[in-house]
Amino acid sequence: MSRVTLRRIRWLLVPLLVVPLGWLLFTGFGRDPREVSSPLIGAPAPEWTLPTLDGGTLSSADLAGRPYIVNFWASWCIPACVDEHPVLASVHERQGEELQLVGVLYQDSAADAEAFLARYGDAGYPHVIDDAGRLAIDFGVTGPPETFFVDAGGIVRDKQFGPLTDALMADRLGAILAAAGP
Amino acid sequence: MIPTLGHVAVLVGLGLSLYAAVAYLLAGRRADARLAESGRQAVIGSFLAAFAGCVAMVISLLSHDFSVLYVAENNATTTPPFISAISLWAALEGSILFWTLLATGWATLVLYRHRDRHRALMPWVGATLASINVFFFAVMTWPGNPFTRTSPVAGEGLGPNALLQNNPFMALHPPLLYLGYTGLAVPFAFGIAALVTRRLDVEWLRIVRRWTIVPWIFLTLGIVAGAWWSYEVLGWGGYWAWDPVENAALLPWLTATAFVHSAMVAERRGGLRIWTSALVIATFVLTLVGTFLTRSGIVASVHSFTQSAIGPWFLAAILIALGGALTLLVWRLPDLVGGGRPAALLSRESAFLFNNVLFLVLTFAILFGTLLPLLVQTTSGGTISVGAPWFNAVNAPIFLALLFLMGIGPALPWGAASWSTLRDRFSMPVLIAAVVAAAVLALGIRDAASVATLALATMVAAVMADEFVRGTRARSRGRSEAPPQAAWRLASRNRRRYGGYTVHLGVLVMAVAIGISSGLSSDVTVTVAPGETARIGPYELRHERLVVEPLRDDPRVIETRAELTVSGPQSGPLTTALRDYPNSAAAIATPSVRTSLGEDLYVTLLASDATTGAVTLHLFVNPLVAWIWIGGAIVGLGAAFAIWPERRAVAVDAVEPSRRAVEPTVVAPSAERA
Repeated sequence: MSRVTLRRIRWLLVPLLVVPLGWLLFTGFGRDPREVSSPLIGAPAPEWTLPTLDGGTLSSADLAGRPYIVNFWASWCIPACVDEHPVLASVHERQGEELQLVGVLYQDSAADAEAFLARYGDAGYPHVIDDAGRLAIDFGVTGPPETFFVDAGGIVRDKQFGPLTDALMADRLGAILAAAGP
Repeated sequence: MIPTLGHVAVLVGLGLSLYAAVAYLLAGRRADARLAESGRQAVIGSFLAAFAGCVAMVISLLSHDFSVLYVAENNATTTPPFISAISLWAALEGSILFWTLLATGWATLVLYRHRDRHRALMPWVGATLASINVFFFAVMTWPGNPFTRTSPVAGEGLGPNALLQNNPFMALHPPLLYLGYTGLAVPFAFGIAALVTRRLDVEWLRIVRRWTIVPWIFLTLGIVAGAWWSYEVLGWGGYWAWDPVENAALLPWLTATAFVHSAMVAERRGGLRIWTSALVIATFVLTLVGTFLTRSGIVASVHSFTQSAIGPWFLAAILIALGGALTLLVWRLPDLVGGGRPAALLSRESAFLFNNVLFLVLTFAILFGTLLPLLVQTTSGGTISVGAPWFNAVNAPIFLALLFLMGIGPALPWGAASWSTLRDRFSMPVLIAAVVAAAVLALGIRDAASVATLALATMVAAVMADEFVRGTRARSRGRSEAPPQAAWRLASRNRRRYGGYTVHLGVLVMAVAIGISSGLSSDVTVTVAPGETARIGPYELRHERLVVEPLRDDPRVIETRAELTVSGPQSGPLTTALRDYPNSAAAIATPSVRTSLGEDLYVTLLASDATTGAVTLHLFVNPLVAWIWIGGAIVGLGAAFAIWPERRAVAVDAVEPSRRAVEPTVVAPSAERA
């Protein structure tokens, strides 16, 4: 390579450094770096059998054939879990038997969870006690609230990291209710 | 009223900075001294404006003026005055205001100090610094206005961030860090001025030596104070977690350190000039990148600032600074090529070049680790986090190699080292290091990094001690001075050299302390009921009682406190607590640290049971941690010693023959006596 080409090529140095750095940093805007994508999406939901808050037992097998939502929450998760609580309750009321909701206590005591429900309203769907944190590990939960949307075929279709709003709920529900059709 | 004045001050600052930038630019092109003079007045005015802005903010905080959004979000009527005042830098907008105060302060200082000298360079220095100030004032005028008002005015504010009100260190760490960050714009400005004017000889390097080392001292102390804060406040028993915000401070520190070294070669031997210019640019750009990373919300960090609209502004500034400075550098490459005196592979130049390469590798490794989560998310959509183990594994060998170079570099002569010089200077130190390594192994310490750190540190210390002793002896004999007097005179008349050695000594102390404390610390988690005793090492901690009560000076804060009695070393009562702040979801740990020169006993409260009074404690015994802080102080003192103005007697000293044997490079009387 001649000296002349070298002299010209040196100008490439500027865009070579500036463009990739600018592009990389620019793509970071508008994302929550704490959000973790889930390898579970598109895969079968983990199977489980756990005690419920009202003293019974619930298993993933009981839910087969219907779409369901698994919501990891805790009484100490304030204000996020309080904020999304009415969203979950209203979906439960609207969808009724068509869609099952399951709350999972994330590192929380049964007594505290009951106090939370007494205070903010118990919509009536079951809550299971995940004392060993096994289910949270199976689902790969980072922290409450985190919600997984499972279709009638038992496949995880979507997840929500952080509190649900009505708009987000409608959006996420689309993924499992549409798939539930015959 | 007061907030309005503050806002006006920001606008005035913006106008004055804009004027200064344009005036200096024209002054540089036309060599017009009067324009430069008016530019300087405008910079001083912008400093006064930033000062007025800060005063307005502090008054608003002290008077709990919740009509200002920043005050409503970071203050409460119960906040004590001291915490209110330092809340100036507790959150995003206020910290930028404070930052601007320091940036304009440095600019004022530099432009005033060199007002009558370096007439070719100074207008471009002024233009660069004023442009940087324009950016910060603009950020405060548009996306990050610290004086944004709210209506209706709340009766009570949210209060300061719980972590920040829990420890007075908060008053110390950010100002030190910011003084470092903002000050590093000065060598950058001189670098730009030198490139623009093609005055790429030693002139600018001589001027910026002090203007680099002073901010470097602040940055060093700021980083150490941050580590100390993390250790004393966060309650996880460690002091460094490779969090993006820590890396953000470390990155410019690494390139600034590399710059200090390569500038020496450029100044003394005329070599490494491209490196030197590139490093000064990289340092400044990295201070911006660090600020951007921690304030834009694009990487997850333990204490990143809230996501805000200033991100795109900072990104634009980074790209303009990097693109502009690089273009200038590439343009001037033909002027920078060559000019160095030839040097052999075994010479001080080579050691400095290797040092530079290692510092750059470290910088890239840390930058890569910090940005990798972002890169992976962007390219594949996956999520990863790069943790401390990765950083430790990658960086530890480089740090060890740097330690090694630190020992041999300063002891090698410029130009070329002969085999006999090598044998003469290094055979004893290497032997001593080998003995230490064997002794450490015999003691049963098998952690490779710890053993290597100890052995290398011993070698470096031996090389330095050997040289100092020889120099002292020669001086003492040649001038018939008593050895202590000869030692002091030798050091105080070669401040650059022995100040540098002192810095190296401080780094050695820190390296050993970090190596030992990370390799040999122990910890245990125990649950004890009242009356029971927890044990770790020689310490026994008896759990006396659990107390839950509001804090005396701020009743909104509930403290859950375990009262313990320590027997063994440092016996006596000890309390460790969790505090519940009304504006924080998680309880804030208030660990108790018993510090001694040998080891720290570190106790945090993890959980408690109010009904039984039982507590779960995390106990650590961390050896030598105190020496990390001591080492940091030695580094700061050494650097201050190195730049302390030399006495004029140096000129006489320089021809003194006995020094030739020990000091191959005679310190020329500096042309610049700033």
